[in-house]
Amino acid sequence: MIELADRRIDTVGAPALPKIDVRAVNFHYGKTHALKNVDLSVPANAVTAIIGPSGCGKSTLLRTINRIYELYPDQHATGEIAIDGSNILDPRYSLSTLRRRVGMVFQKPTPFATTIRKNVAFALSYYERLARAELSDRVEDALRQAALWDEVKHKLNDSALSLSGGQQQRLCIARTLAVRPEIILLDEPTSALDPISTAKIEELIHELRQRFTIVIVTHNMQQAARLSQRTAFFHLGELIEVGDTSQIFTNPHVKRTQDYITGRYG
Amino acid sequence: MTSLLRRRLVDILASLFAGAATVFGLTWLVWILWTTFAQGAAALSPALFTQMTPPPGSSGGLLNALYGSFVMVLLALVIGAPVGIAAGTYLAEHGRYSKLATTVSFLNDVLLSAPSIVIGLFAYELIVRPSGHFSGLAGAVALAIILLPIVVRTTAEALRLVPNSMREAAFALGLPASRVASHVIYKAALGGIVTGVLLGLARIAGETAPLLFTALNNQFWSADITQPLANVPVVIFQYAMSPYDEWHALAWAGALVLTVFVLGLNLAVRFVVRRGSR
Repeated sequence: MIELADRRIDTVGAPALPKIDVRAVNFHYGKTHALKNVDLSVPANAVTAIIGPSGCGKSTLLRTINRIYELYPDQHATGEIAIDGSNILDPRYSLSTLRRRVGMVFQKPTPFATTIRKNVAFALSYYERLARAELSDRVEDALRQAALWDEVKHKLNDSALSLSGGQQQRLCIARTLAVRPEIILLDEPTSALDPISTAKIEELIHELRQRFTIVIVTHNMQQAARLSQRTAFFHLGELIEVGDTSQIFTNPHVKRTQDYITGRYG
Repeated sequence: MTSLLRRRLVDILASLFAGAATVFGLTWLVWILWTTFAQGAAALSPALFTQMTPPPGSSGGLLNALYGSFVMVLLALVIGAPVGIAAGTYLAEHGRYSKLATTVSFLNDVLLSAPSIVIGLFAYELIVRPSGHFSGLAGAVALAIILLPIVVRTTAEALRLVPNSMREAAFALGLPASRVASHVIYKAALGGIVTGVLLGLARIAGETAPLLFTALNNQFWSADITQPLANVPVVIFQYAMSPYDEWHALAWAGALVLTVFVLGLNLAVRFVVRRGSR
């Protein structure tokens, strides 16, 4: 509770401070230079879309924000990524704390091979000692936030693998929300889904943006335009242009952005 | 038209050849199974499971041998499976990118193809010689060493089949590696790991050579694993070589019990695999 109260004062006291501040970040895997001197600030409680052609580094940027790239020994990031002012690329910054604050949802739904309930409760029961009733409440809460509760409430003990692709993806979102993160990273979350599931997820993102800072990587420019307040365009590992979504899509300042948006390449 | 005829002819010939090869291969299997079942069934009786191995010329059962085999296989499982699963986990998870893991993996393959009699000799030098006598424990260790590389291999393979995206998803929740492995990765790979252990079990249940130098045999009831222990494969070996009809019958019955056990394990494996793939 105290933590929550503090956070509110923070946002009221310094509304101009970006939630995530990426400063001079370079990223290498093997010999590939995937991100080149990227500077980007991400505002709190808004959706920031990252667009660009395949291989432009947009997913890579996302993967540096929760340091998931560290699973692979040949991947390295340099520079600074400040979340609320502290540099999370600093090796001393606890991965567990970071990843609790920064949740991530991937391109393909990745439900764990267990029940729906346990998928959501799994990380939660690791972070917090909760009584059984309280745990159930939190699971329900997360599933409601992910707009999945009504579809699964009567079969929480069924295997998560029995759900449809769209439901699985919302389950992954619920799982992420259950630990109460501040930031949610979405890596092309609808690219493996059908149009109806996509619409549901988009609606969900729209609702979540009031309480979370959301960064979404997408191939789909209409999706970026529909969902985001800020848009960043990447090309060949460089940030080409960033601005309000309406400005990027109606009046891009850089020729390359315009070419991409009008479909000249990508 | 002629080319069509030729193709039809080649097709018929190839089908005939493939069919004949299948029949050739299956004949022996069916023959072996049929003989085992026919001869073994004739010798089956309740006494088989209630009486000890008899001296020449009198009737008896295989109780002590069945018990000895059960104890040694179980002990081998208790020793070999945890070590094998842990090593397989190292190869597939923690040691993914290390040179050591590549080396261990190679050595494991060597161990996998080592003749079982060599492993029996190893256990003999390791336990039988220092202790001065044959023992069930030595037999169990020999069987565990045979089980080990099978479990290592299948565990590593099963873990490698778990998609990286699932690993990333679990780590992205901020969970430590141990918890990711125990709660996510093992769960996803459970079918494969259980399959490996069951296959290993089926393999060691019928091993004879490594037990000749280690557990030896025992005519009498003994539950002491530090002493020579009767076991089904060696009893079959000795009784089949003997000149006594009663012993021959018991050997057939033992062969039948062993075959049914291994067959049952293989069916269990299929069941696990089918359930796991759902």
